[in-house]
Amino acid sequence: MADDREPRAGHPRPISGGSIQEADLSAAPDVAWRAADHSESPFVQGLRRLRKSTTALIGAGIVAVLLMVALFADVLAPQSPIASDQTHTFERPSRDYPLGTDQLGRDMLSRIIHGSRISLAVGVSSVLLALFVGVPFGMIAGYYGGRVDSIIMRAMDLILAFPIYLLAIILMVIFAPTAGLIGTIKVTGAIAIVRIPIYARLVRGSVLSIKEKEYIEACRAVGVRNPRILLRHILPNCLAPIIVTTTLGIATSIIVEATLSFLGLGTQPPTPSWGWDLKANVAFIQSNHWISLFPGIAIFVTVLGFNLFGDGLRDALDPRLK
Amino acid sequence: MRTYILKRLLQIIPTVLGITFVVFVMMRSIPGDPVVSLLGDAYTEENAIKARVDYGLDKPVMVQYVIWLGKLVQGDWGTSILSGRPVLKDVMVRLPVTLELIALSMAVALAIAIPAAIIGALRQNTWADYTATSVAMVGVSIPEFFLGVLLLLIFSVGLGGWLPSSGWVYLPGTCQTVVCAASLWGNTQHVLMPALALGVGRAALLTRLLRASMLEVIRTEYVTTARAKGLSERPVIFKHALKNALIPTITVMGLQVGFLIGGAIVVETLFAMPGLGTFGIDAIIARDYQQVQGFALVTAFAFVVINLIVDLTYTFLDPRIRYS
Repeated sequence: MADDREPRAGHPRPISGGSIQEADLSAAPDVAWRAADHSESPFVQGLRRLRKSTTALIGAGIVAVLLMVALFADVLAPQSPIASDQTHTFERPSRDYPLGTDQLGRDMLSRIIHGSRISLAVGVSSVLLALFVGVPFGMIAGYYGGRVDSIIMRAMDLILAFPIYLLAIILMVIFAPTAGLIGTIKVTGAIAIVRIPIYARLVRGSVLSIKEKEYIEACRAVGVRNPRILLRHILPNCLAPIIVTTTLGIATSIIVEATLSFLGLGTQPPTPSWGWDLKANVAFIQSNHWISLFPGIAIFVTVLGFNLFGDGLRDALDPRLK
Repeated sequence: MRTYILKRLLQIIPTVLGITFVVFVMMRSIPGDPVVSLLGDAYTEENAIKARVDYGLDKPVMVQYVIWLGKLVQGDWGTSILSGRPVLKDVMVRLPVTLELIALSMAVALAIAIPAAIIGALRQNTWADYTATSVAMVGVSIPEFFLGVLLLLIFSVGLGGWLPSSGWVYLPGTCQTVVCAASLWGNTQHVLMPALALGVGRAALLTRLLRASMLEVIRTEYVTTARAKGLSERPVIFKHALKNALIPTITVMGLQVGFLIGGAIVVETLFAMPGLGTFGIDAIIARDYQQVQGFALVTAFAFVVINLIVDLTYTFLDPRIRYS
């Protein structure tokens, strides 16, 4: 059997003297082999392509390291991120303070390690929240059409008509930014609301084309109920663009969170946040050059990681989106 | 075509009304109002009620909105409760700053993106392409304010104050107030870093998009035909390929306006520029209702008009696209 699967370089196939049927027969093992190869689901094929993508692997590596840092921040951070020490303000990077200290004498490295929690938590959870609200809306609008579609999509258009930052800023002023977990939830909510229509539109578009396919008609013909068709037959076929948009969306959400924090509307101090730290330290940039660099680099590396991973994922899962 | 433009112009009205109305309601749903900050130490319940009556804040929100609209139609954008200045006047002073910033940053974006994308697409999978795509990936991932900080570190701190870190000098002829500094050189110095900070991110995004669509277009048959009939490479690339590749790119540029407005707010805040972005964020945080309405009006209008311009650009790039 194994021989059949090997390319037959050493045994050139007879090109004359046999009937067409024989030629077909001799080609059969090859055909069977290729067919077996293609019987993999597109998703598995995508994952196989993903493993070969260097950029995706680098991105995944960065994201994995960041997740570890965020998870084990308490263990990794050498000091408390909020304990100020007035005798050690604006320390330059040294052995005691690898990234220096800020105007309150807080260790920058510890603040950056703990700040990863806010960035990742807001980035990931706001996108997931938008996904869990936006995807059902998009599926219902696309599948049922008619008045339901109009009502849902007009509401989505209203949100989309807003310049994204104007809406996020006003929402944050309404929510009144605070520190800690509640503050993080508020920022997550504001960013999620802004991102819901992106999913609704994306999924609606996919559903519109998928619902016309013959296998959906077949499902209806054998009496499968609508919710089951939506969940079992339509949703899996919209997954590729949803996954790609989600990964790239996390990168955007992290930037939006950092921007809101930079404008003073994100999670409030003393909770460590990269955007807030960058803003607070810019004021001292003339005399303490290094101080704004590190929070900025942290934001940049995180966003780069998700972008690289998302790019690789897009190329692997849905080459048409390339 | 004319009917189409007219139809689209008419569609602007409900969108702008929708956005300004939602902003109006949202602002008034924030706990506390500008009267609290206006009265400051003089705040008593009695004074507050009197002030609210004076500014019409005691009326239902719908009525307040209709009053605001009625005045707007007559050219009165209202007066800021906190500063006492007419909103229209403030907007007109600040608008040129932001327009200059956005126009220049888009110019920066196109000046970087078009050559980078063409080189990337024509020399696909060479070191030039890898450089262009890698730099673009870095550019997409760097937030405007961090790029601004890096520019500050290089040009204001590192090079001993080559470029000013904050403030503004107006372009001659754009200053609307009695006293303000205006000179071409001063303006260039002040606008350079903000325009770069805002433009480089867009440049990176456009490079990625344009490279991808150029790659698609240069493999089409009409480009092969153009080459086969003996056209030199330059017109093939610029007249045949680039024009068609620009269509999806322009669409995304239109969609980017929302981000550009946010970027302007951030960059203006970082470089302490007296533009519409800082005006808007200050107004929102201070809950200066009238100023926020003015800001929302201009933003909504810009958003809709730019998307209309984007749609009209298609007909220029691809004459087969006709609107009726």
